[in-house]
Amino acid sequence: MNFRQTPSNVTQQFMHENDSISFYSGLKSVFLRNLKILWQYKFTIIVGFVNTLIAASLFYYISLLVPQNTITQDGYVASSVSFIFAGAMIVDISTKILMKSMNSFTSEMRQGTFETLSCSPFGLKRYFLSEISFEVVYGLIISIMNYIPVFLIFPLFVGLKISWSSLLTLLLLLICILIFFFSLSLLVANFTILVKRGREISMVVVGLIHLLSGSLFPLDLFPQWLRVIAYFSPMTIAVRACRLCLFGDGIITSDIVWIAIVALLLGSVLIIFLFNFTYKKIYNRIREKGTVHEF
Amino acid sequence: MYAIAAVKVKMSLSYKSSYLIVLFLNLVTITMYFFFSKLNPDLEIFGISASYFEFVFIGLALQFIVGTSLATVNGSIYNEIVSGTWSSLLLHFNFAEYAIGTTLAGTFLASFSIFISLGISYAFFGFSLSVSGIQIPLICLLFLLILLSHMTISMIFAAFTIYYQKNSGIVPLLYQLTKTFSGIVFPIALLSGFPTVVARSLPLTYGLEALHNVILSENIQWEIIQRNSLVLAGFIISLGILSFIFVSKSIKHSKKHNKVDWY
Repeated sequence: MNFRQTPSNVTQQFMHENDSISFYSGLKSVFLRNLKILWQYKFTIIVGFVNTLIAASLFYYISLLVPQNTITQDGYVASSVSFIFAGAMIVDISTKILMKSMNSFTSEMRQGTFETLSCSPFGLKRYFLSEISFEVVYGLIISIMNYIPVFLIFPLFVGLKISWSSLLTLLLLLICILIFFFSLSLLVANFTILVKRGREISMVVVGLIHLLSGSLFPLDLFPQWLRVIAYFSPMTIAVRACRLCLFGDGIITSDIVWIAIVALLLGSVLIIFLFNFTYKKIYNRIREKGTVHEF
Repeated sequence: MYAIAAVKVKMSLSYKSSYLIVLFLNLVTITMYFFFSKLNPDLEIFGISASYFEFVFIGLALQFIVGTSLATVNGSIYNEIVSGTWSSLLLHFNFAEYAIGTTLAGTFLASFSIFISLGISYAFFGFSLSVSGIQIPLICLLFLLILLSHMTISMIFAAFTIYYQKNSGIVPLLYQLTKTFSGIVFPIALLSGFPTVVARSLPLTYGLEALHNVILSENIQWEIIQRNSLVLAGFIISLGILSFIFVSKSIKHSKKHNKVDWY
């Protein structure tokens, strides 16, 4: 590969991605590189299992405090354990994906490898896409694995009956949630390179999503003004729709479900548009400020 | 000790965004449990004559402080190692002073979370908590015992950090255990089997049980307060001695194996 020497050529190379390897090869390299790095931190994987188990215990015992151990929402009555757990688990897995993406960018910046990656001919944008694709896939797989012992230990969904149509709708909803968090990670990563505080940004986003989605309680408990604010987060209606599929025979034609799917998809499109819109501006800004020091 | 505390406070304040975000997250947690309390969990069946939000507020306020005192000593030493100031620090190193100084700084800053949460809860959540003259010294004593017991745990992990020159990641795990099994958001009477053993191994369980008794009970049960204070004192003395032994051994090991570049 022919590496050019002058800063203007490097910039041009970056902007136009000349002489770069294909996106597929780059994606594969990012996946392999990240897997090798993660393998060095085997202990972290074990800690992940224990942490998930402890967090699940917290939700399990809290849910036992609910009077009659039942919660009513959208015309169905569900066991408080299943209700709280369904909400908390969906929010937990999806926000973990966001946290992992942001932590990986913050870690590259701290280690000083971010500049090298951002200046490679592969291009920062394609690196963003590859890195976040990896974190989404890895985050999903590791979260599901972490929850297996939880399902074996706690009687979370005992006696739950779900029809095939509701199950398929639930799967569709989960895919939409993944797409939404993929795009949200892209946008937040964009701001991370500007303010260099990925962990903090994601913590704020995650905190707000946890509160507004009503993972611990039905949304009717919010005052009217907060309920209006809560619905600005597509995760609020997504969690409500997932619960409806699980406990209230919700299917794709149910109002809450299709609104959730449309909100998640529209939200994703809007966020990707914002990412594209802000990407060049932010990139030029960091070059002007000299925070990517090779420029 | 004063100098260490002042330096650490200044350092923390130079990371204003991190500090404000922690504050924000603490408020989010309080708000979340406020709305959960609207489901009217009944604590009378556990012998607690208080509303769920009163119960959980005390636990969460302590959780903010405990998290800080658990992480501070170990985290500060790890940061000294990473940023390369560890070797120069060793020239004037007094472990007790360093531990108390950093913990005081952390606790001082974390206590703002509590006061702001308390203010918001009074103003918006209709929360009120009144304490009498006799309760104040008891609360202060228990608070000090809880703080010191978690500081000594952090000191033990600091010894491992000095020895291995890396952070084990066990402190966040211990914090998670403390958050879940100490009776912060639910009474430990709900637990049975192995989780009870875990709960009874954590110092905060004893501290919180005594504090709930002082603040929420109509009649203070002195027996519980005496017993739990003694348990906490036991934690402090035994873990404190262990941490000093481990730290001195770790420093010797570092010097012997040339891990501290000044030696």
